Parts: sequence; structure tokens; C-alpha cells
Amino acid sequence: MGLTLIFGVMDVVNFAHGEFLMIAMYVTFALSLVGLQPLVALPIVAIVLFGVGAIIYRIFVRRLLEGPPEATIFGTFGLLVLFQGLAQYFLTSDLRSANNTWFTGTLQFGAVRIGETDLIEGFGALVIAVLLYLFIEYTETGRAMRATSEDRMAATLMGVDVQRVNLLAWGIGSACAGAAGALLMLTYQVYPTVGAEFALTAFVVVALGGFGSIQGAFIGALLVGLVEVLGGFYLSPAIKMIPVYMLYLIVVLLRPQGLLGRR
Amino acid sequence: MKNITVLVVICIAVAIFAFTSGNAFFLDLTFAALIFAVLGQAWNWISGYAGQVSFGHALFFGCGAYAAAFANWHHFSPWPGIAAGIVIAAAIAVIVGFPCFALRGHYFSIATIAVAAIGQIYVNTAGWLNGAVGIEYKLLPSGLENLQFLDKTPWVLIALVAFAGVQLATMLLESSRIGYYLRAIRANQDAAGSVGIDARAWKLRAFVASAVATAIAGSLYAQYTLLVDPSSVFSLPISVSIALVGVVGGLGRLWGPPIGALTYAFLAKYVAAQLGGNGRGLDLVIYGALICLIAAWRPSGLAGAFEQIVLRRT
Repeated sequence: MGLTLIFGVMDVVNFAHGEFLMIAMYVTFALSLVGLQPLVALPIVAIVLFGVGAIIYRIFVRRLLEGPPEATIFGTFGLLVLFQGLAQYFLTSDLRSANNTWFTGTLQFGAVRIGETDLIEGFGALVIAVLLYLFIEYTETGRAMRATSEDRMAATLMGVDVQRVNLLAWGIGSACAGAAGALLMLTYQVYPTVGAEFALTAFVVVALGGFGSIQGAFIGALLVGLVEVLGGFYLSPAIKMIPVYMLYLIVVLLRPQGLLGRR
Repeated sequence: MKNITVLVVICIAVAIFAFTSGNAFFLDLTFAALIFAVLGQAWNWISGYAGQVSFGHALFFGCGAYAAAFANWHHFSPWPGIAAGIVIAAAIAVIVGFPCFALRGHYFSIATIAVAAIGQIYVNTAGWLNGAVGIEYKLLPSGLENLQFLDKTPWVLIALVAFAGVQLATMLLESSRIGYYLRAIRANQDAAGSVGIDARAWKLRAFVASAVATAIAGSLYAQYTLLVDPSSVFSLPISVSIALVGVVGGLGRLWGPPIGALTYAFLAKYVAAQLGGNGRGLDLVIYGALICLIAAWRPSGLAGAFEQIVLRRT
């Protein structure tokens, strides 16, 4: 789940990120109705979500950035409530799943048996994370993003179009949620409040790694996954999230900048 | 003085309404609005005045609700239950607040979500609290000693007392030096520290006071609905509703939470009832849109917008 790191660029915590994921999952579901497999739909969903993210940035988030710092927290929370309400009103709270017929088998690696879908989800997430990392580290736009996140004023003075960078960051962040949503539809079902399930974990992941650090988010994701699985195995599945939240609290208290964050 | 006059007028008007109206629906709406005004105002102390945005107030609400319900379950009077809820909520506020107030901005907000989520998972699995099923009240004869009433009128009056209490406390806060301390911390914590304000200590006190008032409101809510379960009193949506009442009304404003609570209760009860079963979610749409509009265009909330209009007239 290396997808929530984009808000490091803008220093905005998007509380509605889980809802972007929910939208992506519904789009994937809609595409599956016309016969597209989730994996084929992935690029389309990512592009659609890029558009959604960019539009929301243009008409809404840009205004939030001009207001007091709390405005972004509440504004994105407002988006969360709005999207959940819209989804409940128009799509009802039924569970829906995309029918995936391509990958149903399991693969055997020695003693380990893995479902094909799980493997593809993991691999897909890895590919997205690597692409994102390369983009941020090695392209001109990525450099501009890093500059903006370090010092907005200085970046502006150096001729970086901060508005454009923010727009792109918001769009790409949403596109990541789009890709993740399409991948998740291989195994999950979608319903209006599905976002909440993932958003909190995503926050923990990002805060663990340090806001804005892609490698950090990657390590954070591995840690959270590990703790979740071990917690579910050794304690009980019902309370597997408690160690994850504890981990967050301990890390932010001892090392507020996250494991790999710089300050 | 003006604020006290307004408060007295509101109290008299609501009391008259409570005694004369037999309309259960509107009494229910009034009760919800008053309880949410208490919750929003309590939240406002720590998140509005002191600027430490909490999304975990359901934890304190749940403590109060469960303490009262637990007392009923084990054949105690609700009053010691409410007292226990207050003590537990205050203790949790100290334990959580002491380390977490080292965090700033969204790190603190997310920490409150995480702590409340831990609390909800714990209650969900705790056998001695009846787990995910929750506690259903045993019905007792109406009366103050059992804090159960068949009629809704006493409930509105009790909620009104609680509401008047937090409003008076907030007026005292606004006019005392504590109010200035908290606002200084919100504006610039380091600068506040440099003039001798112990930011962490004051944040902690505001947090404890907020937790206590929230727990009381939780107890009243439990006694009113006669049913508590983890998802209805401990969950994130409760925390968010409490916070958004404060935001919609206006952060750090005396009349913000009451206005926000009235808006919320009206949308949640009236609009939902008018639209019937198939309108499920539409109240959320309106509410979400309202929050977006306020966050983007009117950060001072409805109370702030109202003030501006009044000032422009005079």
C-alpha cells in the first residue's frame, strides 16, 4: 500500500483518500459489468481517478490551502462524508464484487501455497511503488515536487509552478488509489464505507515511514503487514489491528518524523 | 452579559417547549440537538480554543455510555455509574494526552483516531462488557433515582441543564486567562511557551475537562436510548460527528457548537425522516457538502458567518 505518500508533497493529509479508493473500486466494478477484467481496467481506472483528483484539487483543495491549517483536515473530512453519502444514496450499501475469471488458481512454492490473485496484487503494488519512486527521483516534474515539498517559497522563486505541481501530485496520488482499487477488486468486495477500512492502515503506513518518503512508506507497509499477520496469528484475528495502532503510537512518539523521514 | 441573556432566553424557550409540546418527534430532535451541543462544545474546548484537533472523542463518549449501562446491567443506580464513567474518561484523557500532546497537527489527530480504534476493538472483544452485542437496559420505574423516564419532557430538561452548564463554563473560559492561554497555544505554541505558558499542561487540562463533559453526555445518551453497543458509541463516525458539529458551527466560538448541533440534529433526524427509507445517505450528502463549503469558504463556521451578517447590519 505505498499509495498515500503523495500528500507528503503538499503537506496535506487527505482524509478522503479511502473514499478515492472506494470510487476506484466502484469504477472497476462498473467496468467489469461491461466485461472488462479488473487487471485490464486498471489503467482506465487510474486515468479516471487522476481526472477526479485533479478536478477536486482545482475547484476545492486549492481553496483549502489558502485557509487556516485546520481547513485542509476538515475539508478533506467533508469530502469523505460527502462521497460516502453519495455512494450510499446512489449505489445503496450492498456488497458488490467484480467477477474475476482469469486468476483463480493457487501456486505452489515449496511448502508455501499462494493464491494467484494475492500474488498479482502484491506484484502490482510493487510495480506501482517502483514506478512512482522512479518518477519522483528521476524526472524533472518529480524534482519540482520534491523541491515544493521542501520549501514552497524557494521553489516558487526558482520558477516552479507550484499550482501545477500540486495539481499533478493530487492527480497522481488519486491515480495510485485508482490502481490500488482495481487491484483490490480482484479479491475484495466494494461497499460505500470500504474506504475507512483501508484509510487508517494507510495513515499508519505513511506516518511510520515518514510523510513524503517513498522508501519509508514501502518499509512502513511491510512492517504493518507483518505486524498485522503476526498479531492475527499469535493473538486473535479480532484484535489484530491493536498492535498496528500501537506501533503507530510508539513510532510517532519516539521518532515523530517517521522511520525514514527527514526534518 | 449579552451572552448570558441569550442563554437564559434559549433555556426558557426550550423549557416552555418541553412542557407544552407533546410531539415526541420534535422533543427527540431537541434532545439530540442539546446533547450534540454539549458534545460539540466539550470538543471545542480542546480542538477549537486550544487548536488540538481530536478525532477520538467517541472514546470518552463510549466510556460514559458504557459506565452507565454497566451499572444498570449489574443492578446499580446509574449515578455511581456516571461518576465512574467520568473518572475513567478523565484517567484515559491523562494517559493518552500526556504522551500525545508532544505531537502536533495531523500527527495528533491521527493518534486520537488510533487510540479510539484500539478502544473500540477492545470493547468489541471484552466479554465482561458483553462484547460486540452490547448492553441492553433493564427497564426500571420512571424517576430521577433510576434516571429513566417514559416521557421525553424530563429528558429535554436534563439535556438543557447539561447544555446550560457547558455554555456557562465556556463563557467563563472565554473571559478568563485560561481562554487566552489556550488561544495563544493554538496561535503559536512556541511563542506561548516563551512567555511562560506551560502549553502541555494547559492542553492536558483542557483535554481532561473535555473528556469529562463528553462522558457525561455519553451517560445521558445511554440512559435515553437504553441500549449501548460498540459500533453505536465507540466508532469513528461518532468521533467525526462530534468534531463536525464543532466545525460546522465555528471553531473556538461560544455559539458555534449549538448552531452546529442544531444543523446536525435537523439534518440527521428531520431530513432523514422526511425522505423516508430510500433517502438513506442523502442527509450525509447535504452535511458533507456543507462541511466542504464551510472549510473552503467560511473557516469561521456558521456562527462566524452569522456574526459577520449582524455586524454588517449595525
